[in-house]
Amino acid sequence: MATIDVRSVRKKFGKLVALDDVSFSVNDGEFFCLLGPSGAGKTTTLKSIAGLVQPDSGEVWLAGQDAGDIEPNHRNLAMCFESYALYPQHNVFDNMASPLRSPVLRLPDDQVRERVGRTAEMLGVAHLLDRGVDQLSNGQRQRVALGRVLVRPANAYLLDEPLSHLDAKLRTSMRAELKRIAHGDLMTTTVYVTHDYVEALSLADRIGVIKEGRILQVGTPQQVWDTPETAFVAQAFGKPRISFVSGGLVSDNGTIRFISSDGAITVPVPHVEAAAGEPVRIGIRPRDLTLYTGAGPQPAGHERLDGVVYVLEHLGRQTEVTVRIGESLVSVVAPRNDVGGLTVDDKVSLLLDPARVHVFGDSDSDDGRRLSR
Amino acid sequence: MGPTTETTTEPMAGPATSAPAPAKQPPTSGSTANQRKAQRGSATGLLANLALVLYFAFSLLPVLFIVALSLKTNAEQTTTYLWFTPTLENYQTVLGLGDGGSSYVRFFLASLATSTGAVLVSLLIGIPAAYAAARYRFKGSEDLMFTLLSFRFAPELVVIIPLGVIYQQIGLYDTIFGMVWVLQLVTMPLVVWILRSFFQDLPAELEEAALLDGYTRSQAFLKIVLPLVRPGIAAVCLLAFIFAWNNFIFPFTLTSGDAQTVTVSSLAFLGGNQVRFNLVAAGAVMAVLPPLVLALCIQRYLVRGLSFGAVKG
Repeated sequence: MATIDVRSVRKKFGKLVALDDVSFSVNDGEFFCLLGPSGAGKTTTLKSIAGLVQPDSGEVWLAGQDAGDIEPNHRNLAMCFESYALYPQHNVFDNMASPLRSPVLRLPDDQVRERVGRTAEMLGVAHLLDRGVDQLSNGQRQRVALGRVLVRPANAYLLDEPLSHLDAKLRTSMRAELKRIAHGDLMTTTVYVTHDYVEALSLADRIGVIKEGRILQVGTPQQVWDTPETAFVAQAFGKPRISFVSGGLVSDNGTIRFISSDGAITVPVPHVEAAAGEPVRIGIRPRDLTLYTGAGPQPAGHERLDGVVYVLEHLGRQTEVTVRIGESLVSVVAPRNDVGGLTVDDKVSLLLDPARVHVFGDSDSDDGRRLSR
Repeated sequence: MGPTTETTTEPMAGPATSAPAPAKQPPTSGSTANQRKAQRGSATGLLANLALVLYFAFSLLPVLFIVALSLKTNAEQTTTYLWFTPTLENYQTVLGLGDGGSSYVRFFLASLATSTGAVLVSLLIGIPAAYAAARYRFKGSEDLMFTLLSFRFAPELVVIIPLGVIYQQIGLYDTIFGMVWVLQLVTMPLVVWILRSFFQDLPAELEEAALLDGYTRSQAFLKIVLPLVRPGIAAVCLLAFIFAWNNFIFPFTLTSGDAQTVTVSSLAFLGGNQVRFNLVAAGAVMAVLPPLVLALCIQRYLVRGLSFGAVKG
């Protein structure tokens, strides 16, 4: 078990900047998720930690020690590759036993059998131990690759999209299983790379959001959800995605209000660190809005936005409604019953708590920096 | 390989693509149309097989001819007919069984020693070189590879005079060691270039996984990578051996007796006061055996090795 410190790591592949000043630290026993779209530099970051990629500058510290001169085989890290990287000439058992038989561990045969058996059981591949790798489905290969990691004691686990090739049902159960392993008996420091925000939110102690080789925000799932530091981070979490409305800030009797470009949406934004007149965009999460049909009194402290139904998507118990307000489209998730007989182009009102509005800068150069406090 | 696989898959593809059509038509006419298609398909298959058999016979004819020639007497050696009374006399003469005046066996052993030695040295140096060339890019690495390849396509005659002089001066002339060395020009480029593509086809993450499993770089290479390119090594072994075995110009110019090979020794039967094609043929038939035996031994890997690029994925 160990801490991992990534300090200002930069890496270029030819002209392509893969990592641009990446820094973060992972505490002992922590489950750290690196979340980002494909090509963001997640795998390169992982390989830098493993020592498989030599950073152009910056350092990786493992357990409080500069790992720059430590060869990958002496870092005592276990990594699960997205491509599985299973040895095609070995069967499942030998693949999973490989780290246990290596010169670093060299466990006796009975311990190897015991550990491989236990891990295979846990991952549901115990009946496949004698099979060749080429006789496995992709999902099975992925579980074997994960098994080759979990089978051994290590300073840290590096997992590169370990659930991406599983079918939806298996992925959910494996996610729960991983969570049990990671937070339960093992408590091994883990860096987990994923592009699936649900995995990140459900598994991570902390999440680092990475885009184009830069870390945008590091925080607990609560922090990245409640106070996203950039518009990109806000957009990375939640489905349907957060709705953005562009506009400006105006001063109105000492309080600052947001007015959309077309004037159709106006919301007080009390907790903003910006002056009136600045171009901004606000982000509203679909579940922070309530569909108001006019029945019953309007709750106090909520702003009312009027628009017309643009798209209706019935998703079982809930309905995703896209509402057009002026020129802007805003998504809301409502219970099926509330939607009732609504059809496209019907007039509809939305209720919004101004405290839950996120205000971001409107320039793309800083990825839309957070302006609300 | 390409055209033959096309013709053999055609009859299968024919009925398969026409399968959805009968659904719209009455079932009877649909099935007869299918049968007709199938018949036409098997007819093309038959023709293709016939063509293959003809080509097979055509390419085996020279082999048959040389075997026949090796069994003919002096009187019959310039005839082309295949009906004659075979005799093993030529083989006895070549092997020196009758009068003890031939050194064919010595030449044969010299051939075996130089070719085997050349292939082994090439593998020993070429496998690590090919691996390095596949995995590590450095300034000038492509130029280096190209220079290596140029040994293959530059005519040997260009270097033969300086080589001959040098070999005479440093005492490598007419030695097995000298032959093994000079044959590296023939075998090394083959080994490095062919094996490099085999190494390139292996994902680097396999070695990275082995590193993280706790193996050193050399262990990862020996335990994980090398076993996976075994078909490639088998294929390149045979190819290099054949090229080394068949080489004529180097042993012709750089040996005179001790290290002379079978390819050169055959000349002896053509010179002098009588041209003995039947003896040349007998020597050639025996000289074919080592590559043939090698090919049969490693056949299992060979098919996979030669079709590696074609059927991947």
